[in-house]
Amino acid sequence: MYRYDEFDERFVRERVAQFRGQVERRLEGSLTEDEFKPLRLKNGLYLQLHAYMLRIAVPYGTLNSRQLRQLAHIAETYDKGYGHFTTRQNLQFNWPKLKDVPDILDLLADVEMHCIQTSGNCIRNVTADQFAGVAKDEVEDPRPTAELLRQWSSLHPEFVWLPRKFKIAVTGAEHDRAAIKVHDIGLKLKRNAAGEVGYEVIVGGGLGRTPMIGKVVRDFLPKEELLAYLEAIMRVYNSEGRRDNKYKARVKILVHETGEEEFRARVEEEYAKLDGPTINAPEEEVERIAAYFAPPAYEDLAEDSATLDGARASDPALDRFVEQNGFAHKQPGYIALTIALKEIGAVPGDMSADQMRAFADIAEKYSFDEFRVTHSQNLVLPHVKKDDLPAVYAALKEAGLASANAGLITDIIACPGLDYCALATAKSIPIAQDIAKTFADPDRQKAIGDLPIKISGCINACGHHHVGAIGILGLEKGGRENYQITIGGDATEHAALGERLGPGIDAGDVPGAIEAVVETYLAEKQGSESFIETVRRTGAEPFKAGFTAFIEARAAAQSEAAE
Amino acid sequence: MAKEHRAGSKVRGDKLPAILMANHLLEGDVVFLADGGWTLDPSGAKIAHDAETAAAMEAEGKAAAAANAVVDPYLVPVDLTTTGLPVARHFRDAMRQKGPSVHPDMGKQAEYAPIR
Amino acid sequence: MTVITKKGEIADAYVRADTLETAFEADGIPLIPASLVDEYVVAKPGTDFGLSVPGSMPIEDLVPYLAQASLIAIEFPGFSDGRGFSLARRVKREGFAGRLRASGPLIADQFTDALQCGFDEVELPETMTNRQPVQQWMEAKDTITDFYQSGYGEGLSILEKRRAARKGARP
Repeated sequence: MYRYDEFDERFVRERVAQFRGQVERRLEGSLTEDEFKPLRLKNGLYLQLHAYMLRIAVPYGTLNSRQLRQLAHIAETYDKGYGHFTTRQNLQFNWPKLKDVPDILDLLADVEMHCIQTSGNCIRNVTADQFAGVAKDEVEDPRPTAELLRQWSSLHPEFVWLPRKFKIAVTGAEHDRAAIKVHDIGLKLKRNAAGEVGYEVIVGGGLGRTPMIGKVVRDFLPKEELLAYLEAIMRVYNSEGRRDNKYKARVKILVHETGEEEFRARVEEEYAKLDGPTINAPEEEVERIAAYFAPPAYEDLAEDSATLDGARASDPALDRFVEQNGFAHKQPGYIALTIALKEIGAVPGDMSADQMRAFADIAEKYSFDEFRVTHSQNLVLPHVKKDDLPAVYAALKEAGLASANAGLITDIIACPGLDYCALATAKSIPIAQDIAKTFADPDRQKAIGDLPIKISGCINACGHHHVGAIGILGLEKGGRENYQITIGGDATEHAALGERLGPGIDAGDVPGAIEAVVETYLAEKQGSESFIETVRRTGAEPFKAGFTAFIEARAAAQSEAAE
Repeated sequence: MAKEHRAGSKVRGDKLPAILMANHLLEGDVVFLADGGWTLDPSGAKIAHDAETAAAMEAEGKAAAAANAVVDPYLVPVDLTTTGLPVARHFRDAMRQKGPSVHPDMGKQAEYAPIR
Repeated sequence: MTVITKKGEIADAYVRADTLETAFEADGIPLIPASLVDEYVVAKPGTDFGLSVPGSMPIEDLVPYLAQASLIAIEFPGFSDGRGFSLARRVKREGFAGRLRASGPLIADQFTDALQCGFDEVELPETMTNRQPVQQWMEAKDTITDFYQSGYGEGLSILEKRRAARKGARP
């Protein structure tokens, strides 16, 4: 993985000193709260319902054991002994004090980490495929691009006061695990007919109040032209994006209101005026960054492992874990493992300091000292020897990290919701916990198969509910929490937005409604179709009928009980 | 410029009785206006029973924000328990009085006597 | 109003004029809004003036005056409205050789951004300098030594410095 050089090191240290100064100037009144707020947000610091919250950047979701141990230390010293992995591959602490934040930032800088631009109206932490460098369907590793963009977007002089936040995702694979069509900019590494590597550039996707699928603005951008082309897009957006209404300020609205053709023309016009060579990264620099992502020193192994096969045959729990959480590795004899932070009844994405230390040891010993954070609030051990898998499983189990439910109905994404978030309109985590408990039986989960549920506690959609195969949106209605259910959403290369099944329902009815939806799927399913495949074939109608029948039965039962 | 999110009660209609809630600037903790200063204890909040007291408390909150002591002070409509303690009427404010529902071991509910 | 350059506070040679009459009688170089500029250049051809424009102004509308005005003041309605930074880049790209000013309630933390984008100076209302005096602007400017972005500011970017260091290290 990437390591800081002297320039990176000095940059983050100076950024810490800058923030320390900003805190001091806030306390003595040089900065008002209105001025300080965007400055602290650009450094990941929110003021939430109960306390400040600090969001730490995990660039493109890659971490090492030393970093995780430092996070455990911070969690115990300055927080309440745990951290929370988010849907943007970041980590949040929910209870830091403003007075301690500069010291926390220094501890992060000690392990080459920072909080730069994890919030605010600027280019946010760049995300990437969690199986980068692992997946067989990869044209090129997206991480060097993501690292280049991390550097380029950090404290950009022109683009830190944008109309609204700006999110970039990169994938290098055919199967899109980075949700590039629902980002402000999505980049897909591809080859043209001549075999050269470049990018498909997608602009104007996004979730939130007005969800939209991004438009292809450039079908093939030569790799070396990336930064200049992004500068052109950003300048058009910074100049012309709406600033009169925060709900219409994202680039998706600009693309929509301007029209795809006209937007493309304006970007190309700006691009034609740019002096590309003075903006783009020098080729040696691109190569220098890429060298950090060279494959680790794999051993020459056979594809199959007799050790693993034997262990699976004698331990059904291990067998289930490998089947559900394993991901095929391009290197023979290796496997990638998803570590689902989704123990039944736990808070999705939460990890205790003890678990962090245990997991750091596992990653160090068994995965070339590296692991990934996914946008599903899970972790990935990217390079595990199949021969080591029984030992890895035992260690994970010991740490309470061996949940064999990756991708299943209990592997639920949930934003922090009203339990923590100042913007939330309804709780989100307890809904996830209730659904997980309802479907706790492993055999039932297996029979249902892949079914990503995504829950947001407000219209801003941090829980990505629009692109959940089942999406749940919590709102406030008449002084109560109320939940809308959608189906058919998809964040992959088949990107689609979910469709609402009917009126909103009470929190207590959500697990039952999800059961009704699942029953409809099991009744409609043909062959080995997954949930989303069935929805694509049948459309939403049968599911709406099942949902309506549930609502009516509930209402009938309630009025009977009242009589 | 787009209007930024501001804290405030979402209760409609009658806003009394009320307490005044804010965050401590340096610590971040939820604080309540009490007689002669701010308290961390939800049971110690001063209660406004009339519009005049509420206005005076609101002014005190604004002054404390201007003096860089607290952030986002606002009046919170409450119901009173049989012993006269304030319970926020909106579930969002009630969450701030207690702490996260998913972590009974954290926040006010872990540090102070429950409001009964 | 206070005008600050990277070297510190300077005396303002320009005087804001909202009408042609006040522009003609200005005790100093008049700084006039875009709405008056056509009449002004007809009435006083060849004389020195500064032009005040909103950050939202399209560069095409500004280009005709770049060779005539000695100063362009880009107005920031609020510190968080970043359009002026992009307009500054476009003004510099068109070859504007005069002084480029950022005008409005900017905060000291934006001074480096402004300089990197091509501004020569910032003009602040007193309400801002009362809280953030010139000293804070001078300190803010020097907090971060190097930047990653090539093509901004006067020095080499981090990416260019790395390349230079590698070339220097080669035998």
